[in-house]
Amino acid sequence: MSVLRPRTLSARYARTAYLFLLPAILFFAAFFYLPIGNVVSTSLMTGPSADRFAGLGNYTQALADPAVRHSFLVTGGFALIVVAGSIVLGLGLAMALDQPLRGRVAFRVMLLVPYLTSVAIVGLLWRNILDPELGVLNRTLAALGLPEQQWLNTSPLLTIAAVTLWQSVGYTMVLFLAGLQGIPETFHEAAKIDGADAWHRFWRITLPLLAPTTLFVSVMAVISGLQAFGQAYIITNGGPGDATDLSVFHIFNVAFRARDFGYASAQSVLLLIVIVAFTLVQLRAGRRGEVQY
Amino acid sequence: MSPALSRRDLLRLASAAAAVPLLNACAGAPPAPSAEPGTFTVYWNAGHDYQAYRKVIAEFEQAHQVKVNFQKYQWPDLRTRLLADFASGSVPDVVEEPGGWVQDFAISGNALSLQEYVDRDGRAMGFPSDWRPVTVERNSYQGQVYGVQLHLTCTLLLYNKGMLDAAGVEPPTTWEELLEAAGKLTKGDVYGIALNQDHGYAGPWLMQNGVRYYDPATKGVLVPHDAAVEAMRFQAELVHKHKVAPVPVSGTDYSGPQKLFSAKRAAMIITGPWDLGPIKQTSPDIEVGYAAPLKGREQATNAAGTSVFVPAKARRPDLSWDFVKRITALEVERAATKEVGMLMPRLSWAELPEVQADPGIKAFADALGMARDASQEIRLTGQFGRFDDELKKMYQSVLIQNEPAAAAVEKFAEAARGYLK
Repeated sequence: MSVLRPRTLSARYARTAYLFLLPAILFFAAFFYLPIGNVVSTSLMTGPSADRFAGLGNYTQALADPAVRHSFLVTGGFALIVVAGSIVLGLGLAMALDQPLRGRVAFRVMLLVPYLTSVAIVGLLWRNILDPELGVLNRTLAALGLPEQQWLNTSPLLTIAAVTLWQSVGYTMVLFLAGLQGIPETFHEAAKIDGADAWHRFWRITLPLLAPTTLFVSVMAVISGLQAFGQAYIITNGGPGDATDLSVFHIFNVAFRARDFGYASAQSVLLLIVIVAFTLVQLRAGRRGEVQY
Repeated sequence: MSPALSRRDLLRLASAAAAVPLLNACAGAPPAPSAEPGTFTVYWNAGHDYQAYRKVIAEFEQAHQVKVNFQKYQWPDLRTRLLADFASGSVPDVVEEPGGWVQDFAISGNALSLQEYVDRDGRAMGFPSDWRPVTVERNSYQGQVYGVQLHLTCTLLLYNKGMLDAAGVEPPTTWEELLEAAGKLTKGDVYGIALNQDHGYAGPWLMQNGVRYYDPATKGVLVPHDAAVEAMRFQAELVHKHKVAPVPVSGTDYSGPQKLFSAKRAAMIITGPWDLGPIKQTSPDIEVGYAAPLKGREQATNAAGTSVFVPAKARRPDLSWDFVKRITALEVERAATKEVGMLMPRLSWAELPEVQADPGIKAFADALGMARDASQEIRLTGQFGRFDDELKKMYQSVLIQNEPAAAAVEKFAEAARGYLK
């Protein structure tokens, strides 16, 4: 009988491995999978206490709700700016600070500090800097004889995306820096001997070999961009009007202001589906573009 | 050596990135309401931690041999916390709320009816006879009292006397006079008036033009529409057409006008007593003048201010009620007014010598007589959250983004027809 059969080596290894994994599995089950399950079941309910079964009513309502569509569009625009900015600026800064410059370590630390700062502090800081009447930025522009700007009124989404980039670009820079330092110098030297200029070396060697890092940065930036909340909550309160009504902020208001937890949960599930879909597409596209020399 | 990130590297980096927000989220979370028998939990607004209330808490602790767990929050955080508590069933013993939540939670069954306590102790504590009627009404639902008003505030036009004197301008009493005065006071980088980005400040303008937030008979919002459009358009024109007010900036902070007033960049603001302290602290040289509520089609201002209530699942409602009685006593009101100049809901408070002697407090106290609660009717529908969110969007789209008032009000009404069916 199989129960009396001596255990194989691989089975014992597997048991040990599962024992080591158990704390992590329990942690994820308690703090991620159970809450996700709870949100999914709540999304099928309605009422202020989410205690009446609504079936898929919340989902059909969300798909037809112009406010939900608007918040998804706003969030998509925000994520697009943050992803593109993270890659372009992060890579640019990493390449600049990969050169043998004096004080480059200090620069790297300075660029990383905003990432280590709470989004609430960053939000309040920039809110004060950007205040059109009393903020230091417009005071400086006025002192220089330049026209003052209404940053948070004329381009609110772009402005909060720029603040997000200011905060997060140090982190993407560090990732790209690690990627750059992992590219063997011999590739560049060989290309130089073959007559390739700096531009060609960047396009043909650096960028392709950074593909895994770029993929990771873009995946993380898409996830964090689609989940952004603090920027709208702290800096603009979703306004002016609904110009910065990011999805998570919208969901938060549906749950905690309108007290419709079922509807908010349904929107959360829809957002989760969008994030997972984007991530899978990115991973699939990224793997196809991987290069080995 | 391959520069490619392995799957394991990717997981490590992802874990490290995920750990940052997780650790941030875990840091500083306040403890859950204690279930210890000797602890009494109170949720309070962070800006209302007065010595007068600390004294009441000390006396309460002494009288009942309990330790008061006094937790302070900003309003949005307090609401988030409270709703999570309602869901978990572990609730505080007493809650201060910013106005409007009592009826909301009475409808949903999360607030305890205090009627039996009011019937027993009301006469001795002067409730409801000594409270302004509007404060009793906004804390009642289906004939039962669910909360007791703690503070009663309203907004007035505050002006810089020095600036008005220098410009030879009299304090305005009507919208037309306000526009004329603001025009004369706007010079260089000084604005005649500064409006607030917070949509709560739209209330007095709408009421002064005879607008009701909600008419239960017709289920219409912002009626009559033409009056609502006119009120919204008047505010927008102060900013965009006449340029006598700066464009407000959307955010969670409603102190923008006060900061401009304190910096002598605005000659007039419409605000409540909460801005008097910051103005005195930052600009003691400004002599502040107080005008009566403005008159459009009628003279009106909004009734605001906080109340206290007891959650339905509070473990010791008798103790909670005793706390409510103590914290709303006339002597406590007097002490809080002396300490910070806060306005109070008792009729007898308005007669106190401290109130009559202070020109600022007296001006507000006099205006309380014409203060109305604009949102009470919509609150009773249970749809105030949606209404309030849509009102914010409409107000800011007109005032900040200069969208046509008629279209914005119609869009607002159209949305309301959906959720107020």
